[in-house]
Amino acid sequence: MFLLSCPHCGEKREEEEFAYGGEAFIARPADPETLDDEGWGDYLFKRKNTKGWHWEMWGHQTGCRKFFIVKRNTASHAIAGSWTLAEGRKAYDAEGGAA
Amino acid sequence: MSKSLMQSPLHHFDLAKQAVKPDGRHGVWAGELPLAGYIALRGDSATPAFVEAASSALGVPLPVTPCTLAQSGAVKVAWISPDEWLVVCPREKLGATIAALERALEGIRSQVVDNSGGYTQVLLTGANASDVLAHCTVYDIAHLDPGKVVGTTFGKSATLLHRQDRGFCLIFRRSFADYLWRFMVRAATPYGFGVALREDASAAERETA
Repeated sequence: MFLLSCPHCGEKREEEEFAYGGEAFIARPADPETLDDEGWGDYLFKRKNTKGWHWEMWGHQTGCRKFFIVKRNTASHAIAGSWTLAEGRKAYDAEGGAA
Repeated sequence: MSKSLMQSPLHHFDLAKQAVKPDGRHGVWAGELPLAGYIALRGDSATPAFVEAASSALGVPLPVTPCTLAQSGAVKVAWISPDEWLVVCPREKLGATIAALERALEGIRSQVVDNSGGYTQVLLTGANASDVLAHCTVYDIAHLDPGKVVGTTFGKSATLLHRQDRGFCLIFRRSFADYLWRFMVRAATPYGFGVALREDASAAERETA
């Protein structure tokens, strides 16, 4: 268990209040109709599954019910920070879009 | 058609029959507050026009600081998220409050929804009230200052929680009321649990008002 800082509530809260939202910044294909099955399957199921720093989404389910961005080390559970979706995107892009 | 009847989501516990005036013999007392009006208010807290209009309609400044509660008379406004608030008012004020909000917010991007069928409130008091909450929720109760309202986990469900009088007020979903009440009673029983007279609960509410 760890503590997550919710950028909306401005507080550190127990992990139990949150729901994991998976890898962040997965772009939905612009035109799903023309995409082949492999491409759609990749969008739905293929993940980086990083060991180390990972950009992910968490939902503050029993608090403000908003999703936000967390940069977490999947090996050590160290947390580099949490941001709103818009701010997280900026931080992610500033790192070159990859951890 | 049968006449529609509003009843408490805890009615099947027949709390009124078990209720006694709270005294020192139990560590924890709980009582359901009278059915109230609950209004879900949504809008952008970064838009001054919205905040001003909502504040003037409610007669209390809209709490835009995260996790804060604004109270004026019997009307309670709880911050839920940057774009959502829960307004709790006496049932007899419900229609007028909704009408005032709708009038004030006309033309401003917002939403006002009567959610009165969806919630209920329980007032938890007694010397061991915070111990019970420590068993049931994951929030650090020591950091729950007066005027603060937090949404947190309660067992496997969720509740809004804030200090009221010398105890705690829990605002939670009607559909989870049975679960929450049983969970709380089970956690409270080792400390001695009593159902507080509803008159006391409502009197306590009027005191704050």
